[in-house]
Amino acid sequence: MLTLALLYTLLSSSRQTAAKRDQQQVAEAKLQELQTEQTLVEERRIQAAELEDDDQRQRQLGRIANDERRISDDIAKFTRLSDAPDKEDLTVPSWKMLYRQGLLRSCTPQGAFQRKEVWITTDFEATLVRLVTALVLGIGASLTLGILMGCFDPLDAFLTPPFALLSKVPATAVLPIFFVLIQINFKLYIAIIVFGMLPSLAQSISASVRKDVPEELIFKAYTLGASQCELIWEVIFKQVLPRVLDAARLQIGPALVLLVAAEWMVAGEGIGYRLRLFYQRTDMTVVFVYVFILGVLGLATDYALIWTRRKLCPWFGD
Amino acid sequence: MSSSKVRDIVLECRNLSHWFGANKVLKDVNLQVGRGQIVALVGPSGCGKSTLLRAILGTHPPRAGEVLMDGVAYRSPARHRGIVYQRYSLFPFLTAEENVAFGLKLDQTSLAHRSFNYFKWRKLRSAHIEQAGRFLDRVGLSAAKGHYPAELSGGMCQRVAIAQALIMRPKLLLLDEPFGALDEATRESLQLMILQLYEENLQAKERGEPAPHTILIVTHELNEAIYVSNRVLGLSQYHAGGRDGATIVYDKPAPIYRPNEPKDVSHFIEQKEQLLKAVFSPNDIKHHAEFVSFWDDHDRHFASNAS
Repeated sequence: MLTLALLYTLLSSSRQTAAKRDQQQVAEAKLQELQTEQTLVEERRIQAAELEDDDQRQRQLGRIANDERRISDDIAKFTRLSDAPDKEDLTVPSWKMLYRQGLLRSCTPQGAFQRKEVWITTDFEATLVRLVTALVLGIGASLTLGILMGCFDPLDAFLTPPFALLSKVPATAVLPIFFVLIQINFKLYIAIIVFGMLPSLAQSISASVRKDVPEELIFKAYTLGASQCELIWEVIFKQVLPRVLDAARLQIGPALVLLVAAEWMVAGEGIGYRLRLFYQRTDMTVVFVYVFILGVLGLATDYALIWTRRKLCPWFGD
Repeated sequence: MSSSKVRDIVLECRNLSHWFGANKVLKDVNLQVGRGQIVALVGPSGCGKSTLLRAILGTHPPRAGEVLMDGVAYRSPARHRGIVYQRYSLFPFLTAEENVAFGLKLDQTSLAHRSFNYFKWRKLRSAHIEQAGRFLDRVGLSAAKGHYPAELSGGMCQRVAIAQALIMRPKLLLLDEPFGALDEATRESLQLMILQLYEENLQAKERGEPAPHTILIVTHELNEAIYVSNRVLGLSQYHAGGRDGATIVYDKPAPIYRPNEPKDVSHFIEQKEQLLKAVFSPNDIKHHAEFVSFWDDHDRHFASNAS
C-alpha cells in the first residue's frame, strides 16, 4: 500500500515538474521573441520621428506606444512564468490536486444551478443499486438452476451444452446485442450482468452438487426419512452453500467490469459514465478518486462475504 | 407352529442376484435375519459384500430376486433401515447433537410444517435436541454435543453415527465396515458398544418384549466378526457354482460375549480356521450349503426344547 502511494507520488511529482519545465521553456523562448520585437519597435520609433507629416507621425507614435505597452505586459507575464511556472499536469495529478479537484469536487454539489448534484453519491448509488440487484437475481437464479441441474440429469443434459457455449462468450462482446434488444434502462444492466454470470456460476454449482455431496450422505438422509425436497434443502443446499458463496465472491469482479463497461458506453449516470466524461477531458483527478473508492469497496465486499460464509457455515473452516 | 413364526424374521433375501454387465457378482443369495440377531458378514475382498449391503439398504436394488422386510418387498431406502458407513458417516454441517436429532426432524416433520408452524416446530425442536443429548450421553459423548464432525476424532464420529441411526429405532441397522479406519483401542471400545446393544436385546427378551436391535455388520476383520456377533455369515465366490457369482457359503452361530466378560481369544481359533477354509480359500471348492447350518440348528434346538 505504502509502496503504491510512494510510486504514485514519484510519478506525479515527475509529471508535474516536467509540465512546469515545459512551461518555463516556452516562456523563455517567448521572452527572447519579445526582446527582438522590442528592438524592432525602437527602430520603428526612430523611423517615425523622422516623418514629415505631423498627423502621420502622431498616429505612428501612438501605435508604437500601444505595442510597447503590450510588449512590456507580456514581458512581465512571461518573466513571472519563467520564474514561477504554474502549469498543472492533469494526467497524473498531485495529491493536492486529487484532493481539491478530485475529492472535493466530487463530494460537493456541482453543475448549473437548476440541476446541482453530488457526483459521488449519484454515481455510486446508481451503480451499486444496479450491481446489487443483478447480483441478488443472478446468484439466486444460478443457485436454483445449478442445484436442480445437479439433482436432475435430464435438466443437466438439456442446459449444459448451451451454458457451456454461453459461458465461453465474452460478455462484453454481447453488449451491442443487449443495447439493441433492450431499451437503455435499469433492466438492461441487470440483464447484462445476469447473462455474464449465470452460465458459468450455474455450471460450477451443479458440478459442486455432483462432486461435493458424497452419495453416502444422500442415502443416509433417505434412511433417516428425508423426502426429495428435504434432501435438496436440508442436505444438498447446506452442503454446497459455502462453496457457492465462494464462487459468487469470485463473480463480483467480472460483474463490476461488465457494468462499468456498459455504463461507459450508454449510461447517463453511474461510475462508468463519470469516468468517460473525465477521460474525454484527460482530467484524471476524479478518475483516480473513483478508482480508489472502487478498490476499497471491492475489498470490503470480499471481506463481508467471507465473514458471511464463516457466520453461516462455521463447520466449513477457512 | 410354522418355522417362519418360530424364526421371527426381520429381513429376508430371496434368490437375490446381481451383475454388472458380464461381471456376475451375486448369485441366488438366500438369507434370513431374525429379530434381535447381531449378524456379521465376512468375505474375501471383491466378493460383493457391499453390493449385497446396498441391495439390503435399498439404494441399489438387485437385478433379480427380492428383499423383504417383515414380509414386505422393497426397492428403495427407508427409515426402517439405518446405516453407518465407514466414511462420510455424519453430515458435516450439523453439530453432533444436530446430527443425532436430524432423523427425528426429517421423520416427524415436513419442510412445509417447519416453515409454516415455526413456533410449534421450535418447541418440538428443543425436545428433539434433548432426546439427542440423552442418546449422546448413552454413547459416552456428553462433552462433544456442540462440536462439528470435523472437530471430532474418527471413533467419536462413529459413535455419533451409531447414535444417529439408533435414535430412529430402525428394524435393521446396517454397519458397513464401521470401525475399519480406527485404531485398535478405539475399535475395541466400539465393539463393546455393540455387545452392549446385544445385552439390551437379552434384557428385553427377559422382560418378554421384542428385541430392539437387529444388526448386520459387514467387516473384513474375522476376530471382530466372531467377537461382536452371535451369527457369522460368509459370502464367497469359492464354491461349486462360483462362476455365476458369490453366495452365502458359511452361516453358523458365533460365541456370545457379555460386555463385562474378558475377551477370550482362544475360543475364536477353531471358528476362524473354519471360516478361512470355507470362505477365504480359493482352493477349497465345495457345495455352497456345506457350512450353512444356522437355521437348521436353530429349528432343531427349538423343536427339542418344545418337546
